[in-house]
Amino acid sequence: MNFDKLEEIGNQERSRQEAYKRRIFCCTSTACLSAGAGQVHNTLDQAVAACQCDANEAEVVKTGCMGLCSAGPLVRVDQKGQDPLLYGNVSPESAQYIISKHVPIQRDDLTVDEDEMDQSVAPHDFPHYRASLRRIRTKTDFDRLIIPLDIPFFAKQEKVVLNETGRIDPDKIEDYLAHGGYRALAHVLENMTPEEVCNEILGSGLRGRGGAGFPTGMKWNFVRQESADQKYVIVNGDEGDPGAYMDRTVMEDDPHRVLEGMMICAYAVGASSGYLYIRGEYPIAVERIRKAIRSARRWQILGRSVMGTDFQFVADVRIGAGAFVCGEETALIHSVEGKRGMPRMRPPYPSTSGLWDAPTVINNVETMANVPSIINKGAAWYANIGTEKSKGTKVFALAGHLRNTGLIEVPMGITLREIVYEIGGGIPGGREFKAAQTGGPSGGCIPMEYLDSPVDYESLNQLGSIMGSGGLVIIDDSTEMPDFAKYFMEFCVDESCGKCVPCRIGTVQISKLLDKLIAGGGSLEDLEKLDNLCQTVKTTSLCGLGQSAPNPVLSTLRYFRGEYETLVQDAPAD
Amino acid sequence: MAELIIDGHKIQAENGTTVLEAALNNNIDIPRLCHHPELSVSGGCRLCIVNLEGYQNPVPSCGLACEDGMVVTTKNETLSGLRREIIDLFISEHPLDCFTCDKSGACQLQKYAYEFGVDKTRHEFEISKPLYQDDNPFFIRDHQYCILCGRCVRVCEEVVGASAIDFVKRGFTSQIGTPFDDPLKDTTCVFCGNCVQICPTAALLPVSRLDRGREWELDRIKTICGYCGVGCQIEYALKDGEIVYAQSTADAPVNGEFLCTKGRFGWDFATAPDRLISPMVRKDLAFELGLTDENWQLPETSPLSVRNPKIEDSFVPVGWDTALDLVADRLAAIVKESGPDSIMGLASARCTNEENYIFQKFMRLGIGTNNLDHCARL
Repeated sequence: MNFDKLEEIGNQERSRQEAYKRRIFCCTSTACLSAGAGQVHNTLDQAVAACQCDANEAEVVKTGCMGLCSAGPLVRVDQKGQDPLLYGNVSPESAQYIISKHVPIQRDDLTVDEDEMDQSVAPHDFPHYRASLRRIRTKTDFDRLIIPLDIPFFAKQEKVVLNETGRIDPDKIEDYLAHGGYRALAHVLENMTPEEVCNEILGSGLRGRGGAGFPTGMKWNFVRQESADQKYVIVNGDEGDPGAYMDRTVMEDDPHRVLEGMMICAYAVGASSGYLYIRGEYPIAVERIRKAIRSARRWQILGRSVMGTDFQFVADVRIGAGAFVCGEETALIHSVEGKRGMPRMRPPYPSTSGLWDAPTVINNVETMANVPSIINKGAAWYANIGTEKSKGTKVFALAGHLRNTGLIEVPMGITLREIVYEIGGGIPGGREFKAAQTGGPSGGCIPMEYLDSPVDYESLNQLGSIMGSGGLVIIDDSTEMPDFAKYFMEFCVDESCGKCVPCRIGTVQISKLLDKLIAGGGSLEDLEKLDNLCQTVKTTSLCGLGQSAPNPVLSTLRYFRGEYETLVQDAPAD
Repeated sequence: MAELIIDGHKIQAENGTTVLEAALNNNIDIPRLCHHPELSVSGGCRLCIVNLEGYQNPVPSCGLACEDGMVVTTKNETLSGLRREIIDLFISEHPLDCFTCDKSGACQLQKYAYEFGVDKTRHEFEISKPLYQDDNPFFIRDHQYCILCGRCVRVCEEVVGASAIDFVKRGFTSQIGTPFDDPLKDTTCVFCGNCVQICPTAALLPVSRLDRGREWELDRIKTICGYCGVGCQIEYALKDGEIVYAQSTADAPVNGEFLCTKGRFGWDFATAPDRLISPMVRKDLAFELGLTDENWQLPETSPLSVRNPKIEDSFVPVGWDTALDLVADRLAAIVKESGPDSIMGLASARCTNEENYIFQKFMRLGIGTNNLDHCARL
């Protein structure tokens, strides 16, 4: 099927959508689902059906993440001729109310009886959900669920990767086509040579979003210049940082965007086969990506002749088995090959000898998801966003002691202060900001005095942290930094693969030292030992996991040494 | 050819060699535990780290390909400090019972601990690995001594092709194990014992080695394995004339460091009391030739029907010359009496190609018959 036909399908879908007077979007991403969005969606569906109104009055759409996950489940109502309204903390009861407020009811027996609201039983066991029910008693309370869309949380963001999540139904390829999907792929196949594609990506300044920030265009060029019968593309969806769920959201809520980016990459480097490596803990992502692959095959977007051209590409899903280290590219390759997920030494890099010794591109989900936008809008447009060396936007999973937590996409170079106090809405409970932890267990803590430093690859590196895949945890002054470092150290102890000594034994010993210090049995000598051991593990470990495992300890030692010293001084004299 | 500088020495290295190989070829020693010249690169022990000019962090030399213009430093204060710290980590989970350990003296970890002066661990001592497994008659697997260098895993996969063992569990609790923790006999293991030979510590030891003396007390004798025509060189380690274990050395021309299960573990015949150590002639024939005074007659019933027959009952030991003369005389007599085709030659796969060639030559030209066969043909 060529692209004209696909575009026609997209146009049909668009006019179908435009025929509705209002469309009600219910987030069914994992965060909202765990807060009860499944029931909310069912209630919305049933309530609209029960209204018995005209068919074009309202449509309930199951969609992806809208960002403000702390206020989930989220429901957005787009009415023709009116500003969209966003409701947060929606329960099945308030969902009924939302429908009764927006959709003209043809029957009288369905108005919500507010007096009976208290007795209404929620077949649910989520404590916070019950709390939200308790809060909502009266009709005016329902209106308080409305979240203004002009708050800094939304206004400060710039959406590229997450542009369509929350607007489209991830299970419907038509919806993606209606929003301009696969246009970039069609453009690339028709009008660009592989070399031009690589140079376009190089020109955009896109860097790997997995954390290390290697220029994507350069990586593609390496693989393109390799002469081999078979090359592979791997999308790394083994997102393992605690608290990070950017890639999960993109895969769950806009799977076709990932596929499109992957196929553009495959065309650019000359690969005809690719794998999406998704961690096993993301069953919804696996399901939706698989569905996306199936529908793309049905529409001949994937397969022997992509959109009627000579380019062929097959994609398949590989599911991780729960090892954090499989996010490391060489360990991931071993895992795809069916071996134990253990990293190997580089060189040779995967671009020369990767999956089954063939040249292989491995890019993070978010990196791939950037690609269609770059092709559609041009490298210059993308290069315009961000700082001199870090271009474009970055998705962060904002978590911790903040008023607003959730998924945000901000231009590179935004300051931490803007993220914490404007997007995040500041620290709740009258507490003070203490540190921002970026990059998960591989990253470090950034203290108060660097709140105004820009968020980009270089600046974060200078501060002893890393960009990482995009976990951003804000800690207030109620947190003891040694405890915080201990948490991440334990994570690394659990996730070490056991291949190299510094990581296998070193992390355990660091953890033991922290235990000793926290219990108050440490001495200044132990502190010195901790520092030395961290340096050894950092400089001598084999892969990125081990090399970055001591970062949480090292950065807290650097900025919060006083807290460690207090532990030592408080200790009883030997 | 790449020209690089290692520790101030200009060194020429073939393309594709690693810095570690280049250094070793030029008598520059770099500490290493997981590296083995016959196996693929692992890079897990981190002891072979070197400083490479232009790089901030040390790089493991075992995986570093030689390139023109490289400037490498293999020894300095920082590297020694890091290596010391790594050995310290190793021994924080390794039993420090070198006094009673059978491997003492041949243990690589002990060697490097000595070299770097690590006498005890500065860390908290903890071993997470299980005690030894004694699931086969050939060698014991004592996980507590295992440093997870992975040599055994690689030799099993790359040299033997059995892939019976691999890393199981992960992180601090990682160990080498079989699928589903089955006993070795239920896996693809062929008990060649090559893993035992290249184990740098006491994690894998031949059962025959246990409590049989220190390494330096053992005498060593090199010989050629008689089990087949390959002609592997074996080095027996002996204590008081008794074989303690068999191994091979890297300079063995045919087999390098590797042996099969027969060569490595099947040597108890060598010192067995009933082993034949000279040619023997049947007593009645020996009596005829005047080699013995005993007038022994071949019994009516087969000697095999006797319970536990003893060879001395019916044979007498003779010298090689006597034995060969006897055979030659008898063969010549048979040829003369019944013609050469009354004789057939059957050669053995235990002989070398050259021996088999000579044998057929002897049969065809010496005896004059083409009645020839070989056990490997069957």
